[in-house]
Amino acid sequence: MLKTIKVAIVGQPNVGKSSLINAISNAKLHVGNFSGVTVEKKEVFLKTDLYDIDMTDLPGIYSLNAYTPEEQVAKNFLINEDFDIILNVVDANTLSRNLIFSLQLMDMHKKMILVVNMVDEIESKGGKIDKDALESLLGIPVILTSAKEHKGVDEISTQIIKLKKEDKKANKIYYDERVEQRIEKLAKTLQKSPHFRDDDYARFIAIRLLDRDEQVYKIIHDLPIFIEVHSMLEKMYKNLELEFDEDSTTDILSNERAAIAYNLQMEALNLKDEDEGMSEKIDNILIHPILGLPIFLFFMWALFQLTFELGNIPMNFIGEMFTQTQNFLADFLPKGMFNSLLTDGVLPAVGAVVMFLPNILILFFGLNLLEQTGYMSRAAYLMDGFMKRFGLQGKAFVPLVSGFGCTVPAYMAARTLKNPKDRIITMLVLGFMSCGARLPIYVLIIAAFFANHNPGNVLFAIYIGGAILGLIVAKILRTVLFKGEPEPFVMEMPPYRFPSSKALFMDLWIKTKMFLKKAGTFIAFASMIVWFLSAYPKNDMITQNFQTKIEQAKSSKAKAALKNELNAKLLENSYLGSVGKFIEPVFAPLGFDWRMSVSVVAGLAAKEVVVSTMGTLYAVGGESGASKGLISKIRENVDFKAAVALLLIIMIYSPCLAAMSTFYAEIPQWAWRVFYTIYPNVVAWIFAYSAYKIL
Amino acid sequence: MKKISDLKINDTAIVKKIVALEPVKGRLQSMGLVKGAKVKVLEHTLAKQTWDIISGNTKIALREEEARGVLIDRINENA
Repeated sequence: MLKTIKVAIVGQPNVGKSSLINAISNAKLHVGNFSGVTVEKKEVFLKTDLYDIDMTDLPGIYSLNAYTPEEQVAKNFLINEDFDIILNVVDANTLSRNLIFSLQLMDMHKKMILVVNMVDEIESKGGKIDKDALESLLGIPVILTSAKEHKGVDEISTQIIKLKKEDKKANKIYYDERVEQRIEKLAKTLQKSPHFRDDDYARFIAIRLLDRDEQVYKIIHDLPIFIEVHSMLEKMYKNLELEFDEDSTTDILSNERAAIAYNLQMEALNLKDEDEGMSEKIDNILIHPILGLPIFLFFMWALFQLTFELGNIPMNFIGEMFTQTQNFLADFLPKGMFNSLLTDGVLPAVGAVVMFLPNILILFFGLNLLEQTGYMSRAAYLMDGFMKRFGLQGKAFVPLVSGFGCTVPAYMAARTLKNPKDRIITMLVLGFMSCGARLPIYVLIIAAFFANHNPGNVLFAIYIGGAILGLIVAKILRTVLFKGEPEPFVMEMPPYRFPSSKALFMDLWIKTKMFLKKAGTFIAFASMIVWFLSAYPKNDMITQNFQTKIEQAKSSKAKAALKNELNAKLLENSYLGSVGKFIEPVFAPLGFDWRMSVSVVAGLAAKEVVVSTMGTLYAVGGESGASKGLISKIRENVDFKAAVALLLIIMIYSPCLAAMSTFYAEIPQWAWRVFYTIYPNVVAWIFAYSAYKIL
Repeated sequence: MKKISDLKINDTAIVKKIVALEPVKGRLQSMGLVKGAKVKVLEHTLAKQTWDIISGNTKIALREEEARGVLIDRINENA
């Protein structure tokens, strides 16, 4: 049995922690969730001759005074979990700011390794980091790494094992004498309680208390020593604030750490003050007061054009492949129920959905690219003034744009909004940002009715229309339901970086896998149900009736017409027909037939199912069940006004089941959940009805 | 005392004090905006609603409301 070393990987956001982890050789990566929350938890397992190393990558955290829910997760882990070593990753470019946090971590007095990442960027500017100076000043091991050039990365595991074996404690950070006196006194008092017998732990808690850490304050709140500690603290706060002439002891400690960190950087970093960096030069154009916004809108427009135009090329190929397979299997397999289930039910449905994989991948690729290059935060900067007018803030732009990819991660991205009001408004209008899964429906309807009107522009109008509606609704929600200023806006703008192609393609690969899995399981299953409902109960009376008519028919044209009529009659009398008839009154004012009604309702399960259901309903018994055939079938069966109404319903109504359950998981209040479940559908119906009447 | 929101593009200044409520104050500090830190205004939007500043190699975007909370002394090199 090998011994396990538990390591917590901690660092501020944008220090390149992910690429560093990806670069560790022979490591096994496991992606999951932190228990109870939907914050991504990455674990890295590494086997060596003597030890198993189990590293947990904590979410990026700026300081122990946690701010966002992600930071809270990281802090809770640091305070409550059991681990052996802290692996603190810092960015060489912003060393002194990162070290402020490192100093907070060192207060914990745990074994700690400082990883200075992205040294290649310093070196390329002719600078140098003095590793020995940092090591001797901080008293902890330092590793210089460059994930990009794979430098120093494999030193990490060696250093972890070496440190584990050592029986030496980490260094303490000594603050100003006046602060130290208080820390010591407070720690002594804390040690009266059995919870804080350990010297190091008592010192850490004392420092956190002086730092006015509310979470730590709650820990002592329920202990018998609370009264003594509390009155002591109050006195210390008052006296220290007087002595240092500061508003809060937090500021005193923060200034202390900043001064130490600054001096550390002066000693360890050898780099002349640069003039204007590359990032500033790019920013001069990209966030230019006048040019910035048009450039941004152009990027968005280009992304949607690419999604449509480029995605179309493999689309036809994939569609053709499915049709061929279907035809082949229909002839090859013995006739009967299984044959029909596979070639009329499952294959057309799955095929109709898989066809859109290229579109979805291009869109996701573009969004990832914006994120990883650092442009997404510029977009937030550019958009803030505009978003503020709608009662939202610039940062809400990121979840909203992610909503164009998939609503599920977008709901999670809304967690970066700390103010609950901002968050809930953003989440309530997020559904209006058309997700990737709705794309197939748009493409289908556009291809059927707008083929001659530059489809790319129509698609762009749909997406923009949804976004504008979302903003208007946000403004209404803000004025009617919430009053008060939106949450403060303070955001780091990381330097522009070339995205790592490994990370980009890794992410696309995971998306592809997830999408195909969904198509292969959930959608295949849903389409089986739809097929069953549409094929049963068997109605022999009708079939026989038509059979004789078909035999008697003279021309082949008449025969085909009768066959179609038979299929329609059979469908109408199936279970699905009954369901459609039942809900038809709701959709009748919109000009929907029962097949459209069923498809729209099925879309509540997953938007992909809308197209696959239409595929089954309109193509059953037809010559070809593939989407190309579906386009002409829809053109024949649906009138233009109803098609526009359908587009509007799809744009506005509730997102899929997965998204809805994510919303429920994120928002515990029942009132919001109920409101969220009902209002988009009402809005959707009103819009669709108006469009149908006006057109 | 002057605030960041009083500065012009390319102005440089030294941070004197942060006047903001927690957690905004803590966030500003953890991004390096502490007493004595040097800041430079890189950009602001047309209506001066959003500001882009740099301090110790960290670029920070903040709203006018927060920029008003960062008190500074101007050390204008570009005047």
